[in-house]
Amino acid sequence: MKLKKIAKVLLSCVMAGALFTGCGGGDTPAKTDGDKPAAGSSAPIKLGMITPLNTDETTLGELIDKGAEKLGDKDIKHLPKFYDNLNTMQLAVEAGEIEQISTFQSVANYLIASNDKYELVENKNLEKINSVFCFAVRKEDTQLKADLDKVIGEMKSDGSLDKLTKEYVNDVKADNIPKVEIPTIDGAETIKVGVMGDLPPLDLILPDNSPAGFNTALLAEIAKRLNKNIEIVQIDGGARAAALSSKVIDVVFWVIVPLGNDDIPLDIDKPEGVELSEPYFKDNVAHLKLKK
Amino acid sequence: MTFTDLLYKIFIQDGGWLTILNGLWVTVQISALSLLFGTLFGALLCFFRVGKFKPLKVAAQIYISIIRGSPVLMLLMLLFYGVFARTGLSPLLVAVVTFSMHTAAHVAELLRSSLMALDKGQVEAARTLGFSKWQAFKLVTLPQLARIAKPVYQSTVVNLIQWTSVVGYVTITDLTRVINNIASRTMQPMITIMGGMIIYLALSYIIYGIFHWTERRRSQ
Repeated sequence: MKLKKIAKVLLSCVMAGALFTGCGGGDTPAKTDGDKPAAGSSAPIKLGMITPLNTDETTLGELIDKGAEKLGDKDIKHLPKFYDNLNTMQLAVEAGEIEQISTFQSVANYLIASNDKYELVENKNLEKINSVFCFAVRKEDTQLKADLDKVIGEMKSDGSLDKLTKEYVNDVKADNIPKVEIPTIDGAETIKVGVMGDLPPLDLILPDNSPAGFNTALLAEIAKRLNKNIEIVQIDGGARAAALSSKVIDVVFWVIVPLGNDDIPLDIDKPEGVELSEPYFKDNVAHLKLKK
Repeated sequence: MTFTDLLYKIFIQDGGWLTILNGLWVTVQISALSLLFGTLFGALLCFFRVGKFKPLKVAAQIYISIIRGSPVLMLLMLLFYGVFARTGLSPLLVAVVTFSMHTAAHVAELLRSSLMALDKGQVEAARTLGFSKWQAFKLVTLPQLARIAKPVYQSTVVNLIQWTSVVGYVTITDLTRVINNIASRTMQPMITIMGGMIIYLALSYIIYGIFHWTERRRSQ
């Protein structure tokens, strides 16, 4: 009986916490609104980003500021804070730890459509920064890289990549993500692909626990064209490199900001022993903030 | 969107609750198996640790200090991506091995501290009265050991359930992974994580309830 009472009190506390912290529908903004600072202001914007592999927050902050300066945003300074995924960045922005979230345009659109507390930060210069999506394979898997490059090339030239992009990224509705069927070929070789499921509409897991989104649809097409089986393995972002090098998976999705110059080098998020395929998708960088 | 609509969208729509139940089942499986093997292995370790055979005593001591001093996630990743990487063992099995190893170290220490809290005179008295070693252990030591160890063992069980929340790192879709997937899909992390927390809390209270029930049965 006593136990029952304690459980009831605890549940009530949790529910009250949920309501007071404004989960799903609350409109309490963070301490700062994430707008551009006034000209001449030196207060840096606390910017949430996915943890890159080969750099730290201070170095990346300097690189971003240098890049922003070149694009004409001299007054804006950034203070990146690294997070494992978009969920934790959302929690951080709602707690006032950061002011903005840095992500991709397609993901930002999905987030805004799913959660009306967020809006885009207006900054035309962000449209000039593209992120490029590709596959990462082990350096020694040259044949696999060549196969992937070949299929990506074919899909680009016959327009099927654009078709997939339209269906799974541009026209997709947040509450109606199409299911993807990956064909199974008896006796064919299997390529294991690691997905994180935390970047909708590119990579997500449906309510029935099946992987979906643009990346999965692309894999289904690649499987057909290579006449190979694709096995999707869901994995935490932090274990990508370990899973690839230990051969638990053969391929993992990778994103690069391909400035490839002194500002943001290509290897900023690329571990040793990994080769990147031809890019298959390009997206702008977008910054999100809580609505006022 | 109202709060109720949001709850429906997150936890019920399109059979999301079924996936949550599947994730919960994976968590329960890993926890239950790890508890079983961890307790057996822990008892054996404790036996070595308090025994008189020096090499086994030292080996048990080293094992317990290393495992208790290492984060379980590191151990899990080391075993899955290192030691068992090319063996073809399923991730679930590797997780059970890892958590059994980890639980065993904790159980061994809790049993040892419980043994130390026992009055040795009682065993000696039983032996003087003609009890064999086994009878003295079974009838005098074990019941008291169980009584002393029970509260800490209960916490170990609950801790074990919570430790399993890192298995997403080795490709297992457990309750935490399912909750994270839902949070990513719905872009509502706060409420989804709270939902997950309530399920873990309920699981913990079921454990407390079981221990409470056994305690009441014993005292009746």
